[in-house]
Amino acid sequence: MHYAISEIPVIRRFLKSRWPQWGITVLTLAVFVVVIVTGLFGTPAGNHNFGIIYVWLVWWALLKLVLVPFLGRFWCSICPIPAPGDWLQRRSILTPRPGGKLYTLAGRVLRKSAAGAVHPWPRFLRNIWAQNFGFLAVALFSALILTSPLATALTLLAFILTSLGVSLLFERRAFCRYLCPIGGFVGVYGQVAPVAVRVKDPAVCLAHTEKPCYVGSDAGYGCPYFNLPQKLNTNMLCSMCGECLRTCDRNNVAFYIRPPGVDLLDTRDRRLDEAFNGLMMLAAAFVYSVVLIGADGRLKVIARAVGTPEWFAYAAGLLLFSVALVPGLFWLCVRLGQWMAGRDPAAAAGRGSRHADLFAGYATALVPLGLAIWIAFTLSFTLANVSYAWPALSDPFGWGWDLFGTAAMSWTPYLMGIIAYLQIPVLLAGLVAAVALAFRAARQHGQRPAAALPVSAFCVSAVVALLTLYMA
Amino acid sequence: MQRRDRFALVIILAVLLGLPALLLGYQAWRQQPAVAGVRIIHIVARAPEQGGFSPDRLTLQVGERVRLRLSSPDVVHGLTIPGLGVNVDEIYPGRVVEVDVTPEKPGRYAFACTRWCGADHWRMRGVIEVVDLSPRPPATGNLPPQPPATGNLTPRPPSLAGKGELSSPPLVGEGPGERSLTREPPLYQQLGRDLDAMRPPASATPAGKPSAAAGAALAAKLPPELSDPLRRRAIAPADAFQRLRADPANAGLSDDDVWNLVAWAWFKDVSGPALARAAELYARDCAACHGPEGKGDGPIGANLPGMAKMDPTMPKGPADFTDAAAMLAAGDVLLQGKLLRGGMGTGMPEFGSLYTDEEQWAMIAYLRTFLFGK
Repeated sequence: MHYAISEIPVIRRFLKSRWPQWGITVLTLAVFVVVIVTGLFGTPAGNHNFGIIYVWLVWWALLKLVLVPFLGRFWCSICPIPAPGDWLQRRSILTPRPGGKLYTLAGRVLRKSAAGAVHPWPRFLRNIWAQNFGFLAVALFSALILTSPLATALTLLAFILTSLGVSLLFERRAFCRYLCPIGGFVGVYGQVAPVAVRVKDPAVCLAHTEKPCYVGSDAGYGCPYFNLPQKLNTNMLCSMCGECLRTCDRNNVAFYIRPPGVDLLDTRDRRLDEAFNGLMMLAAAFVYSVVLIGADGRLKVIARAVGTPEWFAYAAGLLLFSVALVPGLFWLCVRLGQWMAGRDPAAAAGRGSRHADLFAGYATALVPLGLAIWIAFTLSFTLANVSYAWPALSDPFGWGWDLFGTAAMSWTPYLMGIIAYLQIPVLLAGLVAAVALAFRAARQHGQRPAAALPVSAFCVSAVVALLTLYMA
Repeated sequence: MQRRDRFALVIILAVLLGLPALLLGYQAWRQQPAVAGVRIIHIVARAPEQGGFSPDRLTLQVGERVRLRLSSPDVVHGLTIPGLGVNVDEIYPGRVVEVDVTPEKPGRYAFACTRWCGADHWRMRGVIEVVDLSPRPPATGNLPPQPPATGNLTPRPPSLAGKGELSSPPLVGEGPGERSLTREPPLYQQLGRDLDAMRPPASATPAGKPSAAAGAALAAKLPPELSDPLRRRAIAPADAFQRLRADPANAGLSDDDVWNLVAWAWFKDVSGPALARAAELYARDCAACHGPEGKGDGPIGANLPGMAKMDPTMPKGPADFTDAAAMLAAGDVLLQGKLLRGGMGTGMPEFGSLYTDEEQWAMIAYLRTFLFGK
């Protein structure tokens, strides 16, 4: 079922070359620069500012509708935010330093040896909790950020400066791996993607003690995401940047095409931080659906009025809903499932899973469901508004330019009549996958199938609630 | 550093430094007028609560070719400069609208937003001062001395402080300044009418909606004070009814017929195009507060003090033009005064600087259509 596309010589050469990835990164960096400049100096009217349109409509739609579902975390490998930090750490843009050596500011200031120059990321932060809460922090201000070019520019500047600062102090892509608010859910949902970078034969890796894929070599750098490729079993932390493909001198790493969602088939040993990400993203999709595209415009006004008492109430509501209500409801469903299934023989024999494992295992079901809900949500506003991209391309600042002759193109919703026909199959597919995963989780955690019913009902309720919301 | 790395570095520096410089440089280049001798002036139209027009005060020269580049960062605005014949219906946020102006006469020209952009929309105004720097021929001695340029003009639009109240004299003197400064005062001032005096309600009101056409069909003779439109403006319709009712010549007419005569007296000299223009102006300037049907129920006017500002027993909010007892007790001259001066604390702005004389009287006639049928 897995096909190693990188075994085709032309494709392997393409994947190992640094030029394509560098070229796309420079392109995204150029767009990023235009976003910052238009955000800082252009019109505050979001629908005529390049920054708002090309970040929150074009990029977001590409991310949610194409990149994540089909290419997993590939965006991270061409993201402009960590690129300057990478170049500074590597002190090179294309050609790797001998041994794939990295440099950090900490190493220089503390005059540590080359081996000690890299600064390890604090152990207690080696998870995606910071990413989860970072996402929530951004979500609190999202109505403002999504509509104000200046707020968007300042947010992205904050991201790139933080990334740069982190890369000067800590090794590799610590910002992307542990802090980026986007990276968390991109990794979680990227598990659905039908592509993966994996080792061909784990036995070869076991015998290969030098591990250039992790420490780097003359051919490239150690994995920027701190992965040991032989242990990779999901896309969660792999951006498919190709470094391991370049550094593996045993030719034991390949780029695979595979059935979608394979990463989710094993629901055991799942992490709580990733489970929480799935729940938080589900909650955020609902909040956004109500606040940003809902029928009551007052909510959007309140969500945008940062600092007012009404906004504090909204923020408290969002946090309560995302951190407590939805996860709490899901936890109740998991517990109810345990109760409904009764004490089963495996659990009685001590082979049953702990509550946390069960919770995280069942949360795997939320990955396809959440992705489907986010795709439906993204479809709802993308097709309606993406025509703003044409005038924004010709007049990025809203200053009356007409660079490509498209400035006067008026707002035209595209394919509005078929949005529902796109959303419903996607939601149903996500729901079917979620329910199937819930039953799989029950089986893999030594429970009777009935234990999956409450979680399945949770998933069905989420879809019904969302459809009701959109139809209203 | 290898050659390819140097190449990559150059590309990256070009993106990081060159691209912003290119974009901002292009804009700086665009600021230069494409045609020699044309001056480009940017006017940013913000919601009045955020500052209104910026700048709100311009100085141009007679004969100067000017291109106004208008933009809005927030909501849809409009722009009218009645004295210079400029009307821009829509300035969409994020779009730039250009309009060329070449003032021909010196003076002070009011400009204003024409779209209801917020509760304080009517305060969104500015002034263009047109000066003549060309050498003038020496005075012959027969011409009267020119009044000072400032005259009785308000130097800036009314302050936003004290929402709903004019904190400074109203802006007057639209159009060519010299003409406006020398023309005669408005009729309500000539007649010495006190706009703020409390008026008793109309002594008589019609049972239905009087019809001017039905009044014309009666072929009755109107007294001079009603047949002459200039004299009629000083009379309230209710008083006109009483005079016609008391006239023995109309003894055979019913009250409804007499009201039809009153309606005819009010509309016989009003042209269709004038009423159509007034309807446009009403929709643009009045409907938001007074409501599209003149019932005083426009959404923007809900929180205005209205006449309660002067008498707490009076109803709050904008005037109800369908209130026969109030409207038929007011002559056209009184309505003209309100239109020109504003409501002095009631929340009613002044429109004198934006309307021509013809538009003022047409507007007053239009207000009568809420009670009288053509």
